[in-house]
Order: sequence, then C-alpha cells, then structure tokens
Amino acid sequence: MTAGVTYAPGLTPLTGQVPDDQILVRSRKVTKRFGGLVAVNAVDFDIPRGSIVSLIGPNGAGKTTFFNMITGAYVPTSGEISFDGHDIVTTKGSKVRSLKPHQVTALGIGRTFQNIRLFGTMSALDNVLVGQHVHLRSRWWDAVIRSPRNHAEEEASIERGHELLRFVGLDERPHAWARNLPYGDQRRLEIARALATSPKLLLLDEPTAGMNASETRDLTDFIRRLRSELGLTVLLIEHDMRVVMGISDRVTVLDYGEVLAEGSPDEVRANPRVIEAYLGRGAAEGA
Amino acid sequence: MSSLISPVRVESTGGLPSWLRRIGGTVTGWPAFYRAQYASNPRRVILLTLMVIGIFVYPIAYQAVPSSITRALPIPSSTVVVFMLIFGIMAIGLNIVIGFAGLLDLGYVAFYAIGAYTAAFLASPHFGGLSIVLFSDLPAGFPGIHLPFSVILILAAAVAATFGALLGAPTLRLRGDYLAIVTLGFGEIVPIFFKNLVNVNFSFLFIRLENANLTGGPLGINPIDAPSFFGIKFGVISGWAPVYLGLGLVIIAIVIARNLERSRMGRAWMAIREDEIAAEMMGVNTVRTKLLAFALGAAFAGCAGALQASYQGATTSDFFMFSTSILVVIMIILGGIGNIWGVLLGAVVVQYVDKTLLSWIGNRLSDVGAATGLEQLGRINPSTFSFLLLGITLVAMMRFRPEGFLPSRQRAAELHTAPPGEALGSSALFEEEGVIEELDPTEPGGEEDPEILEAPDETPGDQEPPP
Repeated sequence: MTAGVTYAPGLTPLTGQVPDDQILVRSRKVTKRFGGLVAVNAVDFDIPRGSIVSLIGPNGAGKTTFFNMITGAYVPTSGEISFDGHDIVTTKGSKVRSLKPHQVTALGIGRTFQNIRLFGTMSALDNVLVGQHVHLRSRWWDAVIRSPRNHAEEEASIERGHELLRFVGLDERPHAWARNLPYGDQRRLEIARALATSPKLLLLDEPTAGMNASETRDLTDFIRRLRSELGLTVLLIEHDMRVVMGISDRVTVLDYGEVLAEGSPDEVRANPRVIEAYLGRGAAEGA
Repeated sequence: MSSLISPVRVESTGGLPSWLRRIGGTVTGWPAFYRAQYASNPRRVILLTLMVIGIFVYPIAYQAVPSSITRALPIPSSTVVVFMLIFGIMAIGLNIVIGFAGLLDLGYVAFYAIGAYTAAFLASPHFGGLSIVLFSDLPAGFPGIHLPFSVILILAAAVAATFGALLGAPTLRLRGDYLAIVTLGFGEIVPIFFKNLVNVNFSFLFIRLENANLTGGPLGINPIDAPSFFGIKFGVISGWAPVYLGLGLVIIAIVIARNLERSRMGRAWMAIREDEIAAEMMGVNTVRTKLLAFALGAAFAGCAGALQASYQGATTSDFFMFSTSILVVIMIILGGIGNIWGVLLGAVVVQYVDKTLLSWIGNRLSDVGAATGLEQLGRINPSTFSFLLLGITLVAMMRFRPEGFLPSRQRAAELHTAPPGEALGSSALFEEEGVIEELDPTEPGGEEDPEILEAPDETPGDQEPPP
C-alpha cells in the first residue's frame, strides 16, 4: 500500500495544492514562546497522507518543539493543529486549548524520542505492551478478578507484542530488559513501542543519531517499509542529509522557528536560503 | 499486513460459560502451574510451600506446648501474629503506591484510621440512638449499628479508596518531595480530625447535630463487634482463630496485588515510575493511573484498619500516629520495595522485632539483673528503643543492601551498577545515588520543563549539508 499521494512533487507551498482529505496533519500559525524566546514562530505546515516528510534545520531551530506541540506535550502560545479531522490545538482569542498527550496518542500519533526514553527495567515485550495500553479496554477490576475479557485481551496483546517485536527484528530476546539491549536494538524497540500505539502518523526524532553507515542504511529501508507495509505517514527530524534526501517526499526547513523553505528534496537542496542557513552567507554566494 | 498496526480488539467473551471456563481453567491449571514453577525455581517453591505449611501449623504447635515454654522463648503470640498480618496487608497496599507507581506516600496511616473508624461506626453501640442490626447474632433492637464484618470490610475499603481519590485528585499533579509533604500533612490531619469530633454542632438541610459525639474523642469507640463468620468469633479474646482470618485476608491481598501487577494497569504504573513523560506520550493517562494506584493502596489500608478495629474491639486516635506511616514505609524498604513477598517479609520482621523480640530481651535482661543483683539491667526497656534500632537498621540497609531483603529485580538493578544477576547479594558495587533514589523515585520538576523533552541538539559527525 504505497502512498495515495496525488500532489505534484516540488510545489511550494503545499497549501491549496492537495485536496483537504489528503492532508493528515494541518498546522496553522503555530507559535511557541518560552519566556522571551520564540522557539516556533507562526509555522504553517501540512503533512499529506502516506508521505514521508522531513523537518530539518540547524540546532535550536525549533524542530523538536514543533514535534512536542503536535503530540500535546507542549501547549502552543497560539495557533491551530488538526490531525485526521480532529482538532489537537485550537485558539479562540487568547485561549489556547490542546489535547493531552495520551489523547493525541489515542487519535493515532506515535513517536520516538531524540534521546531514547524506553522503560529501562521493563522487558522489551512489556515496553511494547505499554504502547498498546491506550487501546486496551480491561479495567482494573477485570485485572483483580482475572476476568475472561482481561484474560483474552492479555493473550491477544502479548501475541501482537511478539509480532511487533518480530517486525522490528527483536523477537529473539523478548524478555530482556530494555536497558540491557544494544543501542541499535533500543532504537528499534522505541519504534516498536510507538507502532504498538496503532498510529496513523509516526514521528521519528533523529532516529539515526549515533548509528554507523550500515545501521543508518538499514533504518532507512525500515522507514520505507513502515509506509509500504503498514501504510503509515512518517514525519522525520533528521540531521543526516543522506537519510533526509534519500527517503523524503517533502522537506521542510526550519530556522529560528520559522519555515525557511519547503519542497521536494531537490528543491530544498538547491535553495540558496537553505545553504546560507547551514553554511553561512559566503558559501551561499559561492554556490 | 496492517493487522500488525491495528489495536487488539476482544469481542464479547460470552458471559457465564466463559467465566466457568476461566474458573475451571484456574482450578485445573493449578497442578501444572505448580510443576512449572517448581521446574523453573525449585528452591523457591519448596521454601514457599514450607512457609505456608509452617504458618498453618504454628498456631497448633504453639497451643500444644505448655505456656511456660512459649513464654520463655522469643516466639510471637497470637496478637503479634495478627498484627504482623494487619501490617502485611498495609505493606502490600503501600507497595502498590510506592513500589509499583513510584509515588511517595508518607500519610498512609490516614487511610488505616479511616478504615478503623468506618468499622467502629458500623459495628458498635456508639450511635445508640439508632438500631440497625443486620445478619448478626445480636437481638433486633439492640442499640447502635451492627453490620456483618464482610460488609464492613468492603465499605471500609470503599470509604478509604474514596478519600484516597479525594486526596489524590488535587495532589497527584505534584511530584516527588511535594507529594510526600502533602500526604504527610494528610496523615497528621486525619487522626486529629477523629480526635476532635466530640462536640459537633452542625446544621445542613435536614441534618442537625447538637453536641454530637461522633468519634468518642481521645477515648475512642469501644466496644466494637468482633468479626464473626458462621457463628465463630475472631476477636482478640478468641485466641488463634483471628490468625486464620488475617491469613485469609493477606492471601486475598497478595492475589489482588499480583493480578494488578501483571495487568495493563500494573504495566502503566511501572512505566510511570520509570519515565512519566514517556509513559504519557505512549498513551498512559498518568493522572488517572496514579489516582488509581493511590485509591487502591488506600483501600488496602482501609481493610487493615477495619480488621484492626474489629479484632481489638476498640479504636482510639492514638493508634494512628505519624510513626505508623513511617513504620510501614520502613517495612517495605527493609523488605524490598516492589516485591510483594519482600514487603510482607518486612512487615513480619519489623512487627516481630518490635512486639516480641525486644520485650523478650527486656525480660531476659531483668532476669539477669535479678540473678546478679545489677538492678540497672532490669530497668532497661529495649521496647522503647525500637525506632532507634529501626533507624540504625535502615541506615545500615541503605549502605549495604538498599534494595531490601527480597528485592524486586527492577529495584536491585536500579540501585546497582552491575547487571542484576551479579548485583544481588554483593555489597561492593554501589552507586552513591542509590540511597536518594530509594527515597525519591520520581524526579521533581515543573509541569512543562523544556529541558526534559528537548535535549540540546547534537550535531552528528557525518552531517552533510546540502551542496
């Protein structure tokens, strides 16, 4: 199931070019201030269904802050974000309302973290089971009396947990503690845990950080599989330009909290403002 | 294909037949379960089996031996055993709050008091103006409210859980130290509240109280009906019978706590303890889940309180001191936070030392004093040193074995740098932070801390800027 993306590649900006029902995430004028610091400034950003979109930019450009607003971890100072027909953030006058992170997760946004945040002394399988938590229906009294519903749900979720571990290639040691796994496995376990939340959109925050060239290649292929086999839409924050240019349908460049450029990888690569932001004015003039 | 991504859905499970299959499976599955456990860890299973047999045989043996011998030995009497079990229930409950969910609750005694007073209100002649006698061998028209113990137990749990939820709702947004301080205050307020509700003047709608004596003040409520099942009384004067009642309740507590630990809720509690923000991001409603831990923990204390009041036949606010909260915390730290068997062992050991061993040592000292003429020896009362000893033990434990006698695997790993298998029992490999971590498992922090989620960006070495 490849993307049903119907937009013409390379159109800047995307707004108005893609039918509304093809847009999974829509953000309008999203701003976040930390005290006097404007981390994200009036960002408009669309993610088409079934696409792989990358968010790049120099350090401190506001990429992770933007991530955290989509997932409900930060409440924006102003702006609107909607996901799959549901409002995540709405602004009415000066009143900003945001869903809580667990509500956003229930809608279908899964994420990983820049610095791995697994539940260290829980097993790999338990980590994935926590990911399924939001969709499980047993109540505490079901657990207390081990009701048939609880029993059936536990067995089914453990079964699915093993399947997810198999999908990311971690099925050999399901009972090993997360913190005892090798680094690359921990990254993959984080993805498995995010997949367990049954997402439509997967947010990956620097998934290849700290990986060598061959691990990076494996992960790039794996991200493609997430789309082709599971039909996911992927939003990626990434510093490794080979990864970004290799798998993205679209790239958005943030700098000082504002959208600097947006378009296909080739367009962004050729954009003089992007080169300037990364390498400085002299390099841009030389290019 | 995309079945991997779609959540697990359990269709309706078919009502009664599926229940019968579940129960049947549990009953017939026992031998296989026991064999499997034995195969995986024979020493543990043998030990546990011997313990269970020992607990049931002990009362019989105690009664068979002449009292001159039992008095000479440092072995616990029936009252001490019942208190071991009461505190065992409390330790199991507090372990849900502190051990599973990582919430430091220093006011746990409040729920113990609430449970005890619930029992006192509902099974005593205290409210003499009323006469509500249900399923009791007392004659109809007997003054006061008299409900059967099983009902009282459920009500005490429900009332304590309600107060747990009421306290938790505004305070569980706090973390670590702040939560501990608020619960500590609650633990002080509740017993004082019970102590002072003597001359209550209150008028609201049709409720009118004038100089009402609600709680008996410092004198407490007395007498309270002893627990009674099928005509058998389980009061303090019934000898060893109450031990079996306590054992039954402890076993129920163990089963409930273990079922919770291995459920969706138990995993959510542990996820919150490990990393609250990641748990929230993975879809755990942290506020509600923490509230549940708090309320369920309180329910255990409520049951323990009801058992204590009914067993002793009296309750006063002096039973419920701040030191009781600390005592339960010490029990679970010594026993091994997070492990149900560990905290149970902690309760048994602390109660044994406090109530049996120290007074036995005191008696022996006075014997020696009388024999040798050193009267000063006879005046030493080791029972008054119990908190000093507990404090020293706690400090020593923090230094040499911070994870407790029978630690959970998680705690042992958290407190040692070495892999868990090696770390158990060795004393050479400690992190100094271990002590702090044991007492404060959650990080303090504001609600929205940019540093938590946004670590400084790192520039990987192989970054390739666009050409």
